[in-house]
Amino acid sequence: MLVSWNWLKQYVALDMDREELENRLAMSGLNHEGTETVFDDLAIDLEVTSNRPDCLGHIGVAREIAVLYNLPFSIPTPAPQATGPDVNAGFGLTIESPELCPRYTGRIIRGVTIGESPAWMQEQLRTVFAPVNKDWKPVNNVVDITNYVLMECGQPLHAFDLAKLQGQQIIVRAAHDGEEFEAIDHHTYKLTPDMCVIADANRPVAIAGVMGGADSEVSDSTVDVLIESAAFSSMATRATSRALNLHSPASYRFERALDPEGIEWAANRACELILEHCGGTLDEGWLDAGATTWSPEPVVMRLSQVERILGISIDREEVKRILLALGNTETASDDASLTVTPPTWRRDLAREADLLEEIARIYGYEKIPEDVGVPMAASFKSDWDRVAAKLRTTMTAIGFDESLTASVVPNEWTQVYSPWSEKAPLRTASPMLKGADALRTSLVPSLLEVRRINQSLANPNVELFETAKVYLPQDEGLPQEQWTLGITSGQGFSHLKGVIETVLQALKIDGQLEVDSTSQDLLHADYSASLKLNGEHFGFLGEVNTAGLKSFSLRNPATVAEIRMDLLVQHATLIPQHSQLSNFPATTRDLNIVLAETVRWDALAATVRNAVDASLLEDITYQETYRDPERDGADVKRVLFTVKLRRTDQTMTSEEADAVRGQIVAAIEAELGGKLLG
Amino acid sequence: MALQEFLDQLDQLVSEAETNFGAAESTDALEEARIEFLGAKNGKLKAVQKLMGTVEKQDKPVAGKTFNETKGRIESAFEVAHARIQGDGSDTERDSQFDPSLPGAGFKIGRVHPITQTIEELKDIMGRLGFSTVDGPEIEDDWHNFVALNIPDDHPARDPLENFYLATAEANSGEKNPVDLLLRSQTSTVQIRVMEKTKPPIRIISLGRVYRPDTADATHYPMFHQIEGLMIDTNVTMADLKSVLRLFATSYLGDDVTIRFRPSFFPFTEPSVEADYYWNGQWIEFGGAGMVDPNVLTAVGYDPEEVTGFAFGLGVERLCMRRHGITDIREFYKNDVRFLAQF
Repeated sequence: MLVSWNWLKQYVALDMDREELENRLAMSGLNHEGTETVFDDLAIDLEVTSNRPDCLGHIGVAREIAVLYNLPFSIPTPAPQATGPDVNAGFGLTIESPELCPRYTGRIIRGVTIGESPAWMQEQLRTVFAPVNKDWKPVNNVVDITNYVLMECGQPLHAFDLAKLQGQQIIVRAAHDGEEFEAIDHHTYKLTPDMCVIADANRPVAIAGVMGGADSEVSDSTVDVLIESAAFSSMATRATSRALNLHSPASYRFERALDPEGIEWAANRACELILEHCGGTLDEGWLDAGATTWSPEPVVMRLSQVERILGISIDREEVKRILLALGNTETASDDASLTVTPPTWRRDLAREADLLEEIARIYGYEKIPEDVGVPMAASFKSDWDRVAAKLRTTMTAIGFDESLTASVVPNEWTQVYSPWSEKAPLRTASPMLKGADALRTSLVPSLLEVRRINQSLANPNVELFETAKVYLPQDEGLPQEQWTLGITSGQGFSHLKGVIETVLQALKIDGQLEVDSTSQDLLHADYSASLKLNGEHFGFLGEVNTAGLKSFSLRNPATVAEIRMDLLVQHATLIPQHSQLSNFPATTRDLNIVLAETVRWDALAATVRNAVDASLLEDITYQETYRDPERDGADVKRVLFTVKLRRTDQTMTSEEADAVRGQIVAAIEAELGGKLLG
Repeated sequence: MALQEFLDQLDQLVSEAETNFGAAESTDALEEARIEFLGAKNGKLKAVQKLMGTVEKQDKPVAGKTFNETKGRIESAFEVAHARIQGDGSDTERDSQFDPSLPGAGFKIGRVHPITQTIEELKDIMGRLGFSTVDGPEIEDDWHNFVALNIPDDHPARDPLENFYLATAEANSGEKNPVDLLLRSQTSTVQIRVMEKTKPPIRIISLGRVYRPDTADATHYPMFHQIEGLMIDTNVTMADLKSVLRLFATSYLGDDVTIRFRPSFFPFTEPSVEADYYWNGQWIEFGGAGMVDPNVLTAVGYDPEEVTGFAFGLGVERLCMRRHGITDIREFYKNDVRFLAQF
């Protein structure tokens, strides 16, 4: 909101330093955005929050200044003389859509002389319009006056050329579907039934609260004018303005809750100025339909609340001065409270809390101390936070960078890979980024896109992880938001499996990690797996197949994995316990086993574990697999692994170790049909 | 010779050598042991190596590999014993070819994303001030994102153009979901969820991703991170708010700062303020704050006559950009690994 320094002086004396004033306005709610010299005037740019439409006019800003500096403040009391015939005798007014327009008034002035507006008015308008519109020019005396009153009190007005209104009537109604309308800006707009129009007997002549029509505007040939002063639904005005992408000073104000009493004041003020500067005679009475549906209610301000909420005490007299200077009227009071009725231009003041804010901002927030003793309290770190921190430490230690990618992705990505959910993804009503309107059900496509971006920058070593939510639709209600760890690497399956195993180790999860085959379009049919942790579905892991790489324009191999973080939290050992360590050396035995291809390592390792006294077997380490079909036959492999054995009570002898090896070999032979080589 | 037998001999040799080297107390004794195991002509290792010829051809790869490992282990056991006996004076031999300025054998480490680093620091500071971190859903209903936060039906904040509402199951209909689900536009939603379930006193921060339909440019992104604090008790005042924010800013910046309040407007607080901190000779915007609106307290079942509270919210990206000199918010979500490596 631009205000003119000279204009403000009409209502309040500005003897203070300008910069100090700007600062005090900023500190009391009208943020100072800048000041510009416009000829011999100043345009001061103030940011007005949406709850303060009263400050979208010079009077409101002047009132704030008067309150802040405790200065006298006066505004005109317009009283135009009506000497013409009864306005309602020859002209009709109907509101067909009261939900879009609660109140509509009009006054008619006949026989005006269109010409230039007075120089002082042009100058003040120039100060507030020219800085934002370099092409701004005064229009004519009638239009300038409606704009002047708008900028004076914040109530938008519109002047129609009465001769252009057909059928001697105004109908306020919803637009017909597809109805076309040419506005003053000479663009034609297609209207919809949720929009409000001002129409004459035959067609719309204005989009209510937004813009007037090209062919009913006041021109040099205008003789009689109808001045519209009305209230329009703020929601409907906002929706219309947005839908048409048509924004005006009027629509900006109607989108907010304006002063219902401003309607009459503004119309009177405009009529008075028109009679003074354009001549003509004012018809007796008002075109007036609808009613004001709101009036302020008294509010009790308990003085004890000042200290309870603000933390400082303020004198009763000062509290009272601030409230009354802002336009509240005192209706009742006692020792403990003041009862006031807020002014009609402050619809935001309806409760004690609202008045409290007024007292605080005028009295000054700088008077609130910043060094009071806030009591200490214990805070708690959640298991989730502890696990996430360890996870990040581990992943970065082994060379992975953390990425953050958008939650909303192109829908195609959810078709490419969605292992957690078979339901269609949730969609946003409007895309978040270009083409992206699907709430992701997997982190993998986002990570592959990051690989592609890094590939385009010729960055080597793209090893990434991300912890974020995936959004899994449910049959009803809110979706399941699953915290997920996504990983991508340029290395192969076993590398990435090792990463997951390392994460489990870091979190001291000694549960069983199992693999099953999985069928995912994106992944290699063999080099992929679904994972289970302690029997529960844990995630997926695999190398992206050729078609998958191609769909993300990747030239180099990529491996991806995704696991549930809730299971990490559930199984992590956050407070590890010490166990007594054996003081005797360990012994190892290497075993080279020939067995069928179909026997997986997990089965072999399980057999080994089951075969041996758990207190002796410290570790099983896989070494290598060889194949020699000529000697062993087809579909047979040799698996070399090492067992580490240790006793807690004495050094294990070579004979004991050999005996354990014997048990292992026997079990492998019996359960898996494998044989010790040699 | 069977492979297993060969491997067993290697195992045995290692433990024997380790024992002997470990037992040597003089240079002579060690030399004697060295010749016994590592002697070029009649050393025991040499003898076992000869046995390798008798291993089956197909077992040779395994045998060879294990032999080399064994040799390495025996040699290093010798080195250890040698150093032990010689003490520090043993390294008298010079190596004129050694270049200490060659780069070390490096390790690739990864980086935590700068946004996460900022969040962790903020959580840490607020933790020291007694605020615990809470998490909540990103997809919210009308009640938690608006109604309970005192945002009425006709408020501009509810405009479909200001929010990411979810589309109905029939994606092509473009209609709003009948239950009005949306991506949360602020993390205050989590505060509502906590207050609904917990009695005062409350001292929490909620943080995470929030979503608003801004066109992506250098300073805007339709997804960003917010951290919001909430403190509710029987006698919380605006002076407490100012004091907590001052401690917060002082901890974050590492030096004493002062806090300034400017009036603002948020539906869920009354009074509402913008908080600024004074740093390096200028006022810098910190975030929005205020005293929790009585309507919000009532909505979650608290009695505004019994408890009061404050809330504040900060944009994480903005703090992070200022701290690290990042000029384009989009860098955060591009994940160029060279960018990530800078933090």
